[in-house]
Amino acid sequence: MIITGRWSRRLMRGVYLLILTVGALVMFIPFAWSLSTTFKPLGEAMAYPPIWIPRPWDFANIVRVWRIVPLAHWFINSLIVGFAVMIGNVFLDSLAGYALARMRFRGRNAIFMGIVAMLMIPFQSVMLPVYILLRDLGLIDTYAGMILPVVVSAFGVFLMRQAFLNIPQELEDAAVMDGHGRFSIYWRIALPLVQPSLLTLALLQFLSSWNNFLLPLLVANRSHLWTLPLGIVMFQQEYFVNWPYLMAASVLATVPVALFFLLFQKWFVPTVATTGLR
Amino acid sequence: MARQERLGYVFTLPVALVLFFFTLGPGLYALYLSFFSWSLLNHMRFVGGVNYASLLTDPLFWIAVRNTAVFSLVVVPTQTVVALIIAVILHQNLPARRFFRLAFFFPAVSSSAVISVIFMWIYNKFGLMNSFLGLFHITGPDWLGNPSFALPAIMMLNIWTTSGYFMVIFLAGLQSIPPQLHEAAQVDGASPWKTFTRITIPLLRPTTFFIVVMGLIGTLQMFDQSFIMSQGTGGPLYATTTVVLLIYQFIFAYGKVGYGAAATVLLFLLILGATLATNRWLGKSIEY
Repeated sequence: MIITGRWSRRLMRGVYLLILTVGALVMFIPFAWSLSTTFKPLGEAMAYPPIWIPRPWDFANIVRVWRIVPLAHWFINSLIVGFAVMIGNVFLDSLAGYALARMRFRGRNAIFMGIVAMLMIPFQSVMLPVYILLRDLGLIDTYAGMILPVVVSAFGVFLMRQAFLNIPQELEDAAVMDGHGRFSIYWRIALPLVQPSLLTLALLQFLSSWNNFLLPLLVANRSHLWTLPLGIVMFQQEYFVNWPYLMAASVLATVPVALFFLLFQKWFVPTVATTGLR
Repeated sequence: MARQERLGYVFTLPVALVLFFFTLGPGLYALYLSFFSWSLLNHMRFVGGVNYASLLTDPLFWIAVRNTAVFSLVVVPTQTVVALIIAVILHQNLPARRFFRLAFFFPAVSSSAVISVIFMWIYNKFGLMNSFLGLFHITGPDWLGNPSFALPAIMMLNIWTTSGYFMVIFLAGLQSIPPQLHEAAQVDGASPWKTFTRITIPLLRPTTFFIVVMGLIGTLQMFDQSFIMSQGTGGPLYATTTVVLLIYQFIFAYGKVGYGAAATVLLFLLILGATLATNRWLGKSIEY
């Protein structure tokens, strides 16, 4: 009885590991396939049954794509927009989150509820009026147009408020006794105490801006303003049959994200889990 | 004290202003615009409820609503169940948990545009998907060129992308369940399956609620994948036209701003309705 129990537990573990391995393969194969296609001439890429290991390895696609598409330029555009969005969110969301958590003023709860209610209005659903607004403000074909609508987020305020709520009151009282002003308390005392949440917010906002497709699609009509996702899609529409080229561009766009993800994964997974922030 | 009051407003003002201008304001602006006829180039003309009336009798709008609803109704339950299964398995004491967690999570942080391009290649008539089906002697369709298969192809892509993300949230939910409850159930002789359905699932309800609402909001406003994989057309034969893609086309292809604004208002009502329904179903607090 004991032996069968142990064997059935071993069997279950085996089944679990099998499911996970198959699942991980399913997650991994599309990326592996795009990598494999990158290093093959078109004919070999279309071969049936598929050839996984290119023979020989052909680096021409990646070099040619790098020459014909301004990937580096789009990359820099994505960086500019991503950093601006990240800095805006880190500073402004935390400032509001601090006030809503630690300061007393009339209507504070109403303001907080109002901000949280904005989570119900996702960007896609108000695309049309936002586009008209950006057009009237003369922000089409500007970096500002790609930054301003997402420079703060209701989610960020919510996350930072939760973080600031956990700071012990005594620390603040002591700072007030020392003659610190409100801004100085926020900047010198409170912010350093919520560093993990701040870093999470920074990572997630950078990444969501980096991956944003719709806002650049609305704003950037001219190719010199295209961000990486928009540029890749435009490139796809132009070269839609040359799959090795397209996969080369996809690989070049994915590698930085993968490195970024591996570098900061320690900060990503647990914090996303507790906040559910996207 | 008065000074502190004023500073509170100053600190929240930037966020409030931006949210007003780019979220709440546009929502109200859409409501306003929905009563006008306007092509962005001509003069605005007040038309009352005409946009709503013609939208609600426009077959294309109903096709978009149907596609969006079917997409949501397939993707949300599937990704929730897949995420739960993987999370429950990862919650066991197994080797390489960290590796698996990362592997499942990575698609969720990748760019939807790049992933869509990669899947267009995989869904090609002579692509990887059909070679795989060929192993079982199945002749696969031209996934994105066939009206019956284009939307399911996008559904599979979406489930592939988001399951890992929700899995991580489920995992956090599982970790917050006190282990004593499971131990007590075991002592009482409950089978693992009974423990799962009578203890784990009910206690995960707040997490499930969050995941279903996030999934609904995400799928009801799906745009990127449809736009990219159909080259902006919503085809073949409108098979991948979602409500948001249609709104995009109303402005940029048909120049019907008021019409698009009416669709925006209706989409918002759809999202609100779906969220409230989920709240009635799953939003109750837990009783131990």
